[in-house]
Amino acid sequence: MSAVSAVTAPSPRLLTLLRDALLPILLVAEVIFFGLAAPDFLSASNLANVVINSADLALLAAGMTLVVLLAGIDVSVGPMLGVVAWVGASLFVAGLPPLLVVLASVLLGGLLGAVNAGLIVGGRISPIIATLGTAAVFKTVLFVLWNSTDVFAGPVVPVLGPARAGGFPLVGVVVLVVFGIFAYVLRHRVFGRRLFAIGNDAEGARLLGVPVGRTSFVAYVLVGALVGIAALIYVGRVGVVQATAGQELTLPAIAAVVVGGTSILGGEGGVLRTLGGLVFIALLQNGVVLMGVPPLWNGVLVGLAVALAVAFDVLTRRTLDKRIGARK
Amino acid sequence: MRTILSVTGLSKSFGATAALTDVGFTLAAGERLALLGENGAGKSTLIKLIAGVHRPDAGEMTLDGEPHRPASPGAALAAGVSVVYQEPSFFPRLSVLENLFVGREPRDRLTQVDWGEMRTRGVELFGRLGLPVELLNRRMDALSLAEQQLALIARAVDVDAKVLILDEPTSILTDAEARRLFRVVQRLSEAGVAILYITHRFEELEHVADRFIVLKDGRLAGDLPAAAADHDRILEMMSGRPVNATISRSVADPGAVVLEADGITVPGSLSGVGLTVRESEVVGLYGLVGAGRTELALTVFGMLRPTAGSMRVRGEPYAPKSPRDAMARGIAYLPEDRKTQGLFPGMDTMSNLTAVLLPALLGRFGVIRRAKERELASTWVRSLRIKAPTLDFPVTGLSGGHQQKVLFARQLVTGPEILILDEPTRGIDVATKTDIQQRLVEVAREGTAVLVISSDLPELLAVSDRVYVMREGRMAAELHGDDLTEDAVLRATMGVNR
Repeated sequence: MSAVSAVTAPSPRLLTLLRDALLPILLVAEVIFFGLAAPDFLSASNLANVVINSADLALLAAGMTLVVLLAGIDVSVGPMLGVVAWVGASLFVAGLPPLLVVLASVLLGGLLGAVNAGLIVGGRISPIIATLGTAAVFKTVLFVLWNSTDVFAGPVVPVLGPARAGGFPLVGVVVLVVFGIFAYVLRHRVFGRRLFAIGNDAEGARLLGVPVGRTSFVAYVLVGALVGIAALIYVGRVGVVQATAGQELTLPAIAAVVVGGTSILGGEGGVLRTLGGLVFIALLQNGVVLMGVPPLWNGVLVGLAVALAVAFDVLTRRTLDKRIGARK
Repeated sequence: MRTILSVTGLSKSFGATAALTDVGFTLAAGERLALLGENGAGKSTLIKLIAGVHRPDAGEMTLDGEPHRPASPGAALAAGVSVVYQEPSFFPRLSVLENLFVGREPRDRLTQVDWGEMRTRGVELFGRLGLPVELLNRRMDALSLAEQQLALIARAVDVDAKVLILDEPTSILTDAEARRLFRVVQRLSEAGVAILYITHRFEELEHVADRFIVLKDGRLAGDLPAAAADHDRILEMMSGRPVNATISRSVADPGAVVLEADGITVPGSLSGVGLTVRESEVVGLYGLVGAGRTELALTVFGMLRPTAGSMRVRGEPYAPKSPRDAMARGIAYLPEDRKTQGLFPGMDTMSNLTAVLLPALLGRFGVIRRAKERELASTWVRSLRIKAPTLDFPVTGLSGGHQQKVLFARQLVTGPEILILDEPTRGIDVATKTDIQQRLVEVAREGTAVLVISSDLPELLAVSDRVYVMREGRMAAELHGDDLTEDAVLRATMGVNR
């Protein structure tokens, strides 16, 4: 038990209220701030650009939400995306039919996700260590594949590129469909409820007959499959796969989840919260660029957002848990 | 009565250790069977075999006439064996309703989770057990411990349980809460559920058991109807020798006041609480869970900051800002939850024992003097009769009672002027419990002021010279001498006047 927070932390009710209201307040403040500071920020074309530029990130964040709910994490999604993007773009350039490229990317992503799942579930390695390891491997694999030659490719299929219908980017529809499905699964499918139960207490869930290993395995594979689609969106957006493709996406994906309010300690949150967190991160990155701040600073801002969100999450949880502890 | 569960020749070893040897018993429909035994006697192993957590090495089980060989906890559950473990596992950030149905969510035709059906069944279940239906919507972590425990029992019986196993369900409950639980157990038994009930509290036996069995070193040491449940006889069976469970206690001769607190107020838990503790005196602190006992201890130990009131140690003003301040003034605190607040699970027995005193063991240049540390640790291991194969033995390998002794020793090592013990014997076996009780009285007689918090009333009456009863954040009574009776304490606890 830590002494300090018991003395200084605000009341549980206030904290809970603050936690639920924080993101909406931040979003409004963000929109007002950038709306005033950067005149083009609220233009339809800029907002469409934000959607196009963050669609791959959105899918990574959706997958990340599943494993964070499990009290896990996957820090290999960025490098994994790089590998799949290289393979997908190369297959496409080689003339493979687009739908087969999509299928191959999803399967490859799922396979790489299964590698993570195998280490975490089968090897009982903690998720952060296992995926740090595979992240390093994926980085090296991409570097070897890349072999000093950038692969140039356009969108594999139109919906995974910058195409718009009536001004609205089609890739945004893909994102909304994925989030819609995940929100449904998390609330209404047994698989989704199991993720919450495991994230609350994996051993307790096991004792109640929840297939903990299988459920976790599927979650990490799903992350990989989403990385597969995100990789093709990445190719459609950037148009080229280079030696470090995708690596910048891991941190913002985690940021979207934790800023959205899914607890890094597991068992609490949801994919719609992640959508809110994602909007916050995407607008932040865009607004800063519009204000003329060098993009270099993006890392600082996203990093700060993660640190603050996690600190807030852990403090809240500890205070609420302590309230329970005090009853003993 | 129809036999529901029958166990014959059950054996299980872990490595070289035989945890259970040739155990057999039967359990009839509606029967309430108490399972007794010291820590390490094999109670947990027996439960886990029945519940499918472990597989037996030898022996047979039948459930309702069918062979019972569960391959997993899920399989045992499906067969009708339901367990509420001692450290109840639940899902704090899910609603009570959802907690009831984890692992067996009702589904509709589209295999979706059927929330409507879940609610209907939850309401029906709570109604049947006489539990308040409003609880269903609350998050599990917003419930009191007793409410959580009752919700877990509701969950356990709702699976068409034929056998309900309760592993020390009352160890964290106060008497009033426990009685509520007994009523639920009674209802279940009347509905034909066979109940296997593990407890360390003898005074519960008459409420919860028709029969009892005793395990000793993994073997069955006794199987008797409750009518024959003479406490001394049970103790003999448990320990394998006649024991004197009562501790010997000289009459207190309290000296000067060591600790005084006045008007202590901590918003939400304490309002204007005062107490005094003298040299050579054991002061008990009793109350329902949530009455503010632990909060008072934490305030004295510098972990909670009061908004009003004052404290004095040996007459000097005392306003600790941290546990370090408290320790500097000679106060030691043994927290209630050894797993999360005391034990260093990755470390060996010796390092756990000497954790506090390290500064005094430092030689030149701040190097820890290992030889001295060993000497000190082995003295205390002997003196408290801690059962550890070696000083380097991992502390997590010791039984719960002996882990607690290590933590107890850790506080004694510092030679505190004021020793605060929060539930020092919760969930440990009778022999170890008696050791600790005996020792804490001795420590007081050597001059230390001892403050003991316990929900175990017989224990508190046995060790205390004076008892404070707390109720809803206030001092409800201060009892000593002839006024200090079980009846008086309970009346003060409940707020009933004479």
